[in-house]
Amino acid sequence: MTTLLESSPISVVDALRGDRTKRPLIDTASAAGLRSLLDDGIYEVIGAERLTTPLVLRASSLHQRPATTDIMTSGTGRLRGVLVSQILRLLSVGVSIDHAFDDALCAWRAEVGTNDLLEHLDQLDDDERARLATDLDAHCVTLSRALGEIPARWRPRSAARAIQRLAGGNVVLRDVVDLVIGNTTSDVASIALFDVTTSPLGEGAERTMRYHALVQTLRTSTMPLRTCTFSTATGELWVRDVDYSLLARSVDEVLSCVQDLWSAR
Amino acid sequence: MTSLLHRRLTDEYVNELIESAPCAVAQLTDAHRRSLTARFRAVATPGHRRLDAWSVEQAGQRGRAFRWAPATARRVLGNAALRRVAVQPLTTITGAVRDELADQMLRAASGYARDGSLSYWLASAPHPVLGLVTAEAVNWATQLQEITEGIHADWSVAPSDAYYDVASARTTLRARRDVVIDRDDTRVVVRVRSGSPGKSAGPGLRADLTIDALADHEGLAPARLIGLWPEAGVCLCVDGTMADLRAGARDLVRTAVAQRRQRAPLAA
Repeated sequence: MTTLLESSPISVVDALRGDRTKRPLIDTASAAGLRSLLDDGIYEVIGAERLTTPLVLRASSLHQRPATTDIMTSGTGRLRGVLVSQILRLLSVGVSIDHAFDDALCAWRAEVGTNDLLEHLDQLDDDERARLATDLDAHCVTLSRALGEIPARWRPRSAARAIQRLAGGNVVLRDVVDLVIGNTTSDVASIALFDVTTSPLGEGAERTMRYHALVQTLRTSTMPLRTCTFSTATGELWVRDVDYSLLARSVDEVLSCVQDLWSAR
Repeated sequence: MTSLLHRRLTDEYVNELIESAPCAVAQLTDAHRRSLTARFRAVATPGHRRLDAWSVEQAGQRGRAFRWAPATARRVLGNAALRRVAVQPLTTITGAVRDELADQMLRAASGYARDGSLSYWLASAPHPVLGLVTAEAVNWATQLQEITEGIHADWSVAPSDAYYDVASARTTLRARRDVVIDRDDTRVVVRVRSGSPGKSAGPGLRADLTIDALADHEGLAPARLIGLWPEAGVCLCVDGTMADLRAGARDLVRTAVAQRRQRAPLAA
C-alpha cells in the first residue's frame, strides 16, 4: 500500500548536494585496480574459455538468485517502475506533470514504439488500468515533492546507460542510472547517482546502489561522490558516499553473481 | 596497412590521440573520385541509394524504417544546443535545448518545414513527448560538453554531417561528425556514438573517414577520425592514410553490392 505524508520530510536536492566543503579530491586511480580485480575474479570462475554468448549482468541480477521469483518483477510492477522512471525524466528537465499516468505513458510510447510490456498494458482491463493510474499518481506525488527542482547548472542526465565488457568480453555489465548529476571534469568528486524504485528499500537496493557506483567508476575512470536510492512507495532515501571499500564490496557481489550465472548454465 | 587504435575514454587519452595525429594526410584526386563513381555505377540500384557508416557496419542489411523519436532527435538538438552554449557560455544546456526546440517549432509554424522533417514532427508532438525529447537532447549535449571540456586544442561543434553525392550513380554518402579540431592545415574529426563498439566499428570509422575526405572540396582526409562510445567508456580511431581511405571506399562499394544482392530475390 502507498501512503502519503502531509509534506516531504526529505529533500533529495539537499541530500545530493551534501556539504560542499567536504567533497574529496577526484579519484581517477581506483578504476584500473577494480577492473583488474574483476578480470582476475572472472578468470577464476570461467577460465580462459572464450564464450560465444557473454554472461550479462544488470542491477536486477544482483537482487535475487536466478531460480527465485520476485513479486516486484511481475508485469504490473515492472510497468509501474518504467512509468515512474519516465516521470523522473520529465521532472529532471523541469516539465510539469498534469496527469501522471497519461503523460508517462505518452512519453514512453514515443520512446519505445512497441514492446512486450506495452502489450501487457494494453491487455489490462479498465479496473486494472485505473488502479495502476491511481497508484502511479501517488508515486508521482511522493517523487515530485521529495525531488523539488533540480538546478540546470547541475547538469542532470536521466536514464544514463553504461556498458562494460570484462574479461575479453566474457562478461558484460549493463546498467541504467535513473538520474546522474554533476560533472567528471572538476577537481573534486561531484557526480551523484540517483536511483528510483517503486518498492520498499531493502538489501537489494543497497547492492544496486553499489553496482551503479562501480559501473560508473569503470565507465568514466572517475569515482562518483555519492550514490542514492529513493523509494516512491515509502518515501525513504538512502545515501552512501562512494569510497574504495564500497566499490570493492560491489566487485565481490558482481563476482558472486557471475559464479551463480556460470553454475546455472 | 590500415590503422586502428583502441583506448579508454579519458581526457588524457583523447588529448593524446588528437596531439599524436599524423601531420601528413592523404588527398583524394579527381582520378580517385572518377574511379569510385565508376564502381558505384556498376552496382545498379532501382532507386536512390544512401550509404553511411551504420550501413557498412550492418553489411547493408536494412533495419527498421526511420521514424522520429526522442532518441533519433537527440543528436541534432543536442549538437545545436552545444553550439549555442559555445557562443553564449552563461546559457545552461537545458536552456539551450529549449531555445533550439522553440526555433525548430517556429520553423514549422512559419511554414518553412516540410513533411517528415524534425521541425514538423516536433510541432505535432504532445507535451510529454517534447519533455522526453528535451531530456534526451540534454543527455547528449551534456555528454558532448564533458568530452569537449577535456580537449586542450581549439574545437568546434561540426555545423553538419559530411555529405557526398556520387555523380551519376544515384548514391549519397553520409558521414557523421560531431566535433572538429582544426590544426594548421589538417583537422581531427570526433564522432560520438551510443552503445558499445562492435566488431565492425573499425570499418565504420574508415567509411566515415573516406566520406569526410570526399566531402572536402580539396579531397583532404582528416588527420585522424576518433570514434567515441561514452556509454562503454572507450574510443577507437583511424588515421587519414591512403590505405585507410581505400579500405573505407572498398567497404562502401561492398555494402552497395550487398544491398543489391539482398534486394535481388525480391525483384525476381
